[in-house]
Amino acid sequence: MTDPSAPIALTAHLALVSSISFGGFPTVLPDVRNFVVVTHGWMTNQEFANIFAMAQSIPGPNMILMMGLLGWKVWGFPGAVASAFATFGPPCTMYFTAYRLWDRFRDAPWQRIVRLGLVPVIMGLVIASGTVMARAADTSWRAIAVTIGAAAITLATRLSPMWMLLVGGALGGLGLL
Amino acid sequence: MTEVAQHQEMARTVPLSALFTAFLAVSLFGVGGGGGIVWARRIAVETRGWISDREFADIVSLCQFMPGPNIVGIAVCVGAKMRGTIGTMAALAGFLVIPWSLGLALGLLCLEYAHLPVLRNILGGIAATAAGLLLATGVRLLLPHRRRPAALVFAALSFGLIAFGGLPLLVVLFGLVPLR
Repeated sequence: MTDPSAPIALTAHLALVSSISFGGFPTVLPDVRNFVVVTHGWMTNQEFANIFAMAQSIPGPNMILMMGLLGWKVWGFPGAVASAFATFGPPCTMYFTAYRLWDRFRDAPWQRIVRLGLVPVIMGLVIASGTVMARAADTSWRAIAVTIGAAAITLATRLSPMWMLLVGGALGGLGLL
Repeated sequence: MTEVAQHQEMARTVPLSALFTAFLAVSLFGVGGGGGIVWARRIAVETRGWISDREFADIVSLCQFMPGPNIVGIAVCVGAKMRGTIGTMAALAGFLVIPWSLGLALGLLCLEYAHLPVLRNILGGIAATAAGLLLATGVRLLLPHRRRPAALVFAALSFGLIAFGGLPLLVVLFGLVPLR
């Protein structure tokens, strides 16, 4: 494999970028690719792309899984575990601290102002990411119909999303989309 | 205040194992980007009734505003709300340990072999459905604000700037929020 300092360099870099990955981990992916492919040459561009596609299609914590797979490439199982911790450790500490503060001041007037302003903006972003995903996934009018159908059923009923995902997967598997 | 009292009452009674299994389910069911929000809301708000839609929207917004893989933040915050530090540990362990280990094994296995076309088709169908689920969850969480025109204008602005303007998320976040 690579020299012994490689896993330390990767772990330290991931801990750094996870601490500044505002807007979610995908925002720093270009930087991570640059680090592992260009700067250190631990893997090819193609290998990096394959790992990304794989992590996206496996259920579970995608980005933490993706960094684990990168870590595995560099230093086997210990590298995978170290990379995963570097990815979720620093942000989780921040989430916990921030939530504690938020909860402590739950009746403060500024919180009402933040809520009224922040929540609609963030929900606009959530709907926007749904749209961006739909544009990537919906390659035919049938796929568009599936997206609209799933959204309508979710809004109108309390049907478990699992049924909709199963039907969507089955339609795709049968070559109908 | 009664709502707060109710939740405090419940906070004493939620077992750590329930937090573990709830976020294990959120993690395993959430396929692709954004799926975690769909399932976290389904389980924490609808199925278990641990928190209200308003609190859930607060938590999602808080986490979006900070760095890192945001869905993990939902586990951290709901765990902290229900049982404090130990609750966070339980929710986080449920969210990460089993799904990550399975995913790593599966990922390493799959990377050895080429993708089958039928597998790609199935994933395509799931992706189309998942996009619809995410759209609906965003709309649902926006519903409590539907009577305030300003809120809807800002939601529309942030939606439009990201979905069609292609602006970086940071610019939109820090540009829009202070305007309120």
